[in-house]
Amino acid sequence: MVGGQGVSSSKPFRSFWLAGRHRPLYGLMVAIASVLTVFLLRYALSDVFDDGALFLFFTPTILLAAMFGGIGPGLAAVGLSLIMVMVLEQLVLSREIGLLDFIAFLSVGIAIAWLGEAFLRASIASTTSAEALEEREAQLRTILETAFDAAVVINAEGVIISFNPAAERQFGYRLDEVLGRNVKCLMPEPYHSDHDHYLRRFLETGERRIIGTDRIVVGQKKDGSTFPMKLAVGETKTESWHYFTGFIRDLTEREESAARLEQAHGELARLSRLNEMGEMASMLAHELNQPLAATINYVQGCRILLRDIDNPNAERARAAMDEASRQALRAGDIIRHLREYVVRGGTQKFPESMHTLIEGAAGLALLGSRDQGVRTEFRYMASHDTVIADRVQIQQVLINLMRNALDAMRDTTRRELIVTTRNDGDMRNIVVDVADTGTGIAPETIERLFQPFVTTKSNGIGIGLSISRRIIGIHSGTISVFNNQDGGATFRFILPTLQQMGDSDG
Amino acid sequence: MGDWTVHIVDDDAAVRDSLAFMLAAAGFAVRTYPNGSEFLSVARSLRHSCLLTDLRMPDMSGVELIRRLKAADAALPAIVITGHGDVPMAVEAMKVGASDFIEKPFDDAVLLEAIARATGERNAPAGDGGIADDIVARLDTLTPREVEVFEAVVGGLPNKTIAHALDISPRTVEVHRANVMTKMQARNLPELVRLALAAGYDITSPVRNPINR
Ligand SMILES: Nc1ncnc2c1ncn2[C@@H]1O[C@H](COP(=O)(O)OP(=O)(O)O)[C@@H](O)[C@H]1O
Ligand SMILES: [Mg+2]
Repeated sequence: MVGGQGVSSSKPFRSFWLAGRHRPLYGLMVAIASVLTVFLLRYALSDVFDDGALFLFFTPTILLAAMFGGIGPGLAAVGLSLIMVMVLEQLVLSREIGLLDFIAFLSVGIAIAWLGEAFLRASIASTTSAEALEEREAQLRTILETAFDAAVVINAEGVIISFNPAAERQFGYRLDEVLGRNVKCLMPEPYHSDHDHYLRRFLETGERRIIGTDRIVVGQKKDGSTFPMKLAVGETKTESWHYFTGFIRDLTEREESAARLEQAHGELARLSRLNEMGEMASMLAHELNQPLAATINYVQGCRILLRDIDNPNAERARAAMDEASRQALRAGDIIRHLREYVVRGGTQKFPESMHTLIEGAAGLALLGSRDQGVRTEFRYMASHDTVIADRVQIQQVLINLMRNALDAMRDTTRRELIVTTRNDGDMRNIVVDVADTGTGIAPETIERLFQPFVTTKSNGIGIGLSISRRIIGIHSGTISVFNNQDGGATFRFILPTLQQMGDSDG
Repeated sequence: MGDWTVHIVDDDAAVRDSLAFMLAAAGFAVRTYPNGSEFLSVARSLRHSCLLTDLRMPDMSGVELIRRLKAADAALPAIVITGHGDVPMAVEAMKVGASDFIEKPFDDAVLLEAIARATGERNAPAGDGGIADDIVARLDTLTPREVEVFEAVVGGLPNKTIAHALDISPRTVEVHRANVMTKMQARNLPELVRLALAAGYDITSPVRNPINR
């Protein structure tokens, strides 16, 4: 990019000057034009100068041509000048020019042309490097300004001469508050007092403590609080400058946010598991109750049959059956308690943004889905997305639907999961569609899909959809499913928005 | 009790057959039906009969069955069997005419007593005309908080939900509940529900409780 025309287009003269390809041509034109001009000038002034100052007039043309076009045009100017001198000799001179004069002009001309070339080179070099420097500085500034990490530049005295926006954020100082101050102000004790000493020793001995390596040190914010940070220091040294640049990463900032994210995920995962467990327990209670009740009935029927038989064995069998039915009843109690334990004391409904709920659920349900090659898309077309809902429960529904969609797309080539929201019924409802490009649902199972323990998966339990339907029911909504025309299934649930809730309350 | 026939309606074959076995052992004549419709088609001609029906069934629920029997002028003493957490539905069944409900699984003694009461072989502790005044008198002894708990309990709400709704601890609900049972002289929940119905109480779930079906 150095010397490129695009870069210097704002400086037309320089671009012309540096237009390397055309430079000899321009030089030649300069040579011809200047030699002719000088020739005419000298011809016109021939009365004034008489026979003197003939060669002298032409020397500037050589320098000019060489400066524009390098040595070639310079030499061309020498040649042209010689011809013109000879023409002048015929036209105006009263005497002949000696051979020695010609040789002298020729050698001086060549020297001047060479000088011009040298000047041109130097000038090109200095211009391009000035431009490159400017450009590089602009780049550097952009990098520093947009960098995630803080960057602080100090000079050899430890005085801050640059402080990027990330540094402003991390340390809480504004740029103008720290420029010109000693970098010590960013360090707590004991670093604060030791820093001058470190810097001086490094400058004297070159002994490296921190330069070139990563270190975890402690920084101090404007408000006096301290934080662990990762520090990498680079050194820039020229004849006249000696800089140190520190790149700083606030470890708490990243680790805290990562931890917080994990925690939020963990909490949601835990709650949704708990909710699922509650449903499991309640469904198990129901399903297990049937065989348990039957067992007890049989045992008690047997005991009644044995009631009037007077036989020691019958007596013992009766006692055993008493015990058997007591144990079965105890199992029933355990299930009852388990259910009561996990069923929460009512749902906790608050105004929630459906779009936020969707994002939270997606974060959990779609973990790693990109690796499976699933493309996800969220189309939020609902302008009113506030619902009165139990956050965990609605997210549980969304997680179930998204996970099912991923499961259904495991073996298909096209893998797209599209979640759409829109309002209907005059903003009184929000319609949420979870559509996939999976296997779709067989007509014979579509009816029973929402019943518990209906599953087509080897590792499925088949309660996801029944829980989802129950939760949506609790929220005065409906849930349905249909197969898409171009393959896959869409699960749709509709919930009343805050709008509608507000109406019915008022 | 030998001349009474118990008609069992349950969609679960194991439960149905085991009940039949036990009641037959206890000396009852027994007939079984896999769903409500089948029983409805024979119900009008029955004499000296008692119905024992499951509440949750796919085609016709127990409540619906009792309602239709009444509509067809074929009402008979009916006992409903419920699973866990179905108390509100059982209360509903009692409102449409069931005489008792039993939570599954149950001890045979409980069922036999319920049948005896339903068939009138044993005096029901409450329910007849003159007794209503007596029940109202018992209700008057309840404190306002106890009335709230009473209403919630006969509405079929579990203690945890009542605690949540009334903003008191589940432990306190238990205490109130025990007081209500004592003051109302009820031995169990179905009896309490019966008393409430006999007193002309309109049992509508006082706390809209979304989590319970
Ligand atoms: N998006 C879907 N595409 C195709 N089939 C689905 C989809 N979602 C659910 N199903 C079917 O419904 C069944 C029940 O789903 P669910 O209740 O969540 O239980 P599980 O996921 O444990 O099988 C699944 O086994 C599957 O056959
Ligand atoms: Mg599932």
